Amino acid sequence: MSAIADTPRQRSRWQPDFWSLVAFAAWAILILLLLMPLSLVLVSSFRDESGGLSLANWQRLFTSARYFNAFVNTLIVGFGGLAGALLLGSVMAFCMARLQIAGSRLVSMLAILALVSPPFIGAYSWIVLFGSGGIVRQTLMSWGIFMPPIYGVWGVLIVFAFKFYPYVYLLTSGALANINRSLEEAAENLGLTPFQRVMKVSFPLVLPALSAGGLLALIHAIADFGTPRLLGRGFNVLATEAYTAYSAEIGSNLGMATTLSLALILLSMVFVFIQRFMSRRNVYHSNLINRPEKVRLRGFANVAAHAAVYFIALGGAMPAIIAAIYSVRKTNGPVFQPGFGLESYSRIIATLGDVVRNSLVFSGVAVLLIVVVGTLIGCLVARRNTVQTSLLDATLMVPYVMPGIVVGVAFIAAFNTPPLVMTGTATIIILSVFIRRLPYAVRSSAAALRQVGPSMEEAAISLGYSPVKAFLRVTIPLIAPGIIAGAMLSFVTAINELSSSLVLYVGGTVTMPVKIYIAINDGDYGTAASLSTILLVLSGAAIYLAFRLLGRDERALL
Amino acid sequence: MAYLQVDGAIKRYGATTALDGVSFAVGKGEFFTLLGPSGCGKTTLLRSIAGFSQLSEGRIDLDGVDLLAVPPHRRDIGMVFQDYAIFPHLTVAENVAFGLKARKVPASAIRERVAEALATVRLAALADRLPAALSGGQQQRIGIARAMVVKPRLLLMDEPLSNLDAKLRLDLRDEIRAIQRTIGIAAIYVTHDQEEALAISDRICVMDGGKVEQIGTPQQIYGQPATRFVASFVGTMNLLPPSAFGLPSSDGVAHWAVRPERLRLSEADTPAQFAFSLTGAVEHFTYLGREAHLTVSAQGHRLVAQIAAPPPDLSIEAGREIQLALDLRDLHAFDSEGRRVTVGRAA
Repeated sequence: MSAIADTPRQRSRWQPDFWSLVAFAAWAILILLLLMPLSLVLVSSFRDESGGLSLANWQRLFTSARYFNAFVNTLIVGFGGLAGALLLGSVMAFCMARLQIAGSRLVSMLAILALVSPPFIGAYSWIVLFGSGGIVRQTLMSWGIFMPPIYGVWGVLIVFAFKFYPYVYLLTSGALANINRSLEEAAENLGLTPFQRVMKVSFPLVLPALSAGGLLALIHAIADFGTPRLLGRGFNVLATEAYTAYSAEIGSNLGMATTLSLALILLSMVFVFIQRFMSRRNVYHSNLINRPEKVRLRGFANVAAHAAVYFIALGGAMPAIIAAIYSVRKTNGPVFQPGFGLESYSRIIATLGDVVRNSLVFSGVAVLLIVVVGTLIGCLVARRNTVQTSLLDATLMVPYVMPGIVVGVAFIAAFNTPPLVMTGTATIIILSVFIRRLPYAVRSSAAALRQVGPSMEEAAISLGYSPVKAFLRVTIPLIAPGIIAGAMLSFVTAINELSSSLVLYVGGTVTMPVKIYIAINDGDYGTAASLSTILLVLSGAAIYLAFRLLGRDERALL
Repeated sequence: MAYLQVDGAIKRYGATTALDGVSFAVGKGEFFTLLGPSGCGKTTLLRSIAGFSQLSEGRIDLDGVDLLAVPPHRRDIGMVFQDYAIFPHLTVAENVAFGLKARKVPASAIRERVAEALATVRLAALADRLPAALSGGQQQRIGIARAMVVKPRLLLMDEPLSNLDAKLRLDLRDEIRAIQRTIGIAAIYVTHDQEEALAISDRICVMDGGKVEQIGTPQQIYGQPATRFVASFVGTMNLLPPSAFGLPSSDGVAHWAVRPERLRLSEADTPAQFAFSLTGAVEHFTYLGREAHLTVSAQGHRLVAQIAAPPPDLSIEAGREIQLALDLRDLHAFDSEGRRVTVGRAA
């Protein structure tokens, strides 16, 4: 009793100041790693080459035929990628959610494979099969069937469709499987034809998922820089122009690079807002008393459905499969020889050990940071509903729309000159991965926490635990599986991260994806394929762990 | 002096006032219920006592100590939650032991007290199970055992039965009351279910719009409702304008009110005190087994009468003209503000 009596009457005292500290640290991180670099990008886009204030860069963006082309081309790949991903993704989603498909577990594994295929290797594999000297093209030509090589805008769009369909597929099949069957039965019962039923009931119900998946495909398509670079053959987009402006050996133009980056961010943001606006009212919660059943098709329809599903699944996973096969082809230096062998792997062990180590260390450290900081901020956002935390949450949306190239350019703009010089260090690569992936960790831990609900912690407090102890003893154990699973998925993104590292790397900080890019450019496909395979195996292991902890949920990968 | 004393409790959220000057006192060992519709402030008040919500103004004293100066985890107040709040990562026994561990009770004593508590709520057989597999009723029993086992100074229950099905609700209601009596702990119970409140409480505090409408025993609340709100919230009440049916007019009476079970079908053997009678047409008749309800339309007013233990062959078709009788002493009177007024009644 005396302990109680001694406590001074101060109501705010038991609100742990810890969380204010977290909020402070969160803002410090966001200002240093996000807002400051971004505003420097903004400033730098308004400077001419001599450093004076001017609108020259923006003027060039809108008047130069080259940049105008890049802008139009970006829209083309954006909407083209969106259309392709929507087409393949929704066909796949419908078949998988509503039809009995043999080997559906294999199909969903192939979809995951498509999602985590290391960047660049995708475009490369398509070239191997359908390029000028591609195996499939050559074979067809020898049969007398002409097939144009895959280069150019159509090639880019085909690759995007197969690369980004899993976004639409995973989100939409989830939504389709969760429509209460009674709703469709009710529509039937009210006299709607099957087609009307789909258009008036099922389609509106999956529209939010469809548009969210489409948005992801669109944003990734306009940010992607490897595919147009390798397959485009002169087909330039904003992302490739930003990289070129930055990396040109002679006359590197940071001002133009930042202007192009900003144009890319603005474009992404416009699409995010459009999607938000489209699905503003469309949050449906339905009870799942009556789950939809999977229909078993017969005859031709069944064959057609299976053919469609496996065509899409194998097409999407093809790059990963090709990489795995090519990684065990016999090589002599960079040249493939007939037969199989492990030369590529032994070359990695002999000469590229530090590249593999870099990748593991950078991603490991980045994921550790992401987990700790992301969980704390997630708790803050989930539990404290103030203007300040809403602002924090909104600011954390920014990295979602920042293409990797832009993060790289922004970090160069911010950390190349004193007071903070980090260019050329491992730290800058780790931090770039950290800031890009942080929002996902915040989102997932906030979501996990909202599921726990505050009454758990209150119960612990009423039983005599201080708020901090209650958090550690009750909340943390409850959200731990979610956090670890999230960490595994962050690891997958971190270790496959290419575009920002490509801007930020120096000789000593080359990572596996960067090395794959260099190897492909040098024509050393054996090394590229075997590094890609190693990445795939590491990603697969992390995903397996995450699924063990979280339950199998492919949507967590998005 | 009272054991728990709440004085002038006010809670504002921006422009809205959730608690508007609530005061009451609870005695040691008393079962005290906060009853009201959702949004009346009862849960806010309970959470203020627990310390999960802070009052804008007012005082709360427990056993002579200012409670608001004590952080929630030191208040030593047990709480049972509407959503059970059972820790899913701990076994049933670990859940119950959770509060004892915070109090650094020796392990052997913990084992003993947990076993005893689980026996009290009849869950001894499930001690080593994880709660996920248990039913709602079993989970709430864990919640009760977990809150009771630490022997708190006060037990708070926030609609503990509202997520359970009807039959279970009755069983657990009686169990809660029995356990509370055995331990002799003061309990504050929040509910929106008036029947539950009447059944379980020593005293009830009826709240509406953040204000106390009436505090009293179940008999007082039902039998002498202090306001028109209490009269119609607790049970059913027929409200009539002062001039209806030529009821005796009285100064300051804005409404007469009478309970359905106080209305009788006029028959030959109606006791003499049921002197006042009125005639109306039956609108509909609802047979409910142990009772029947009769909705009667009379001179433009609609009245509900309750017939206790209706004979199985009783059926009254709509449109039939009937006579209802009542004892004028069963009439309640309320003024234009809705407050109860006492009028000299003609015998």
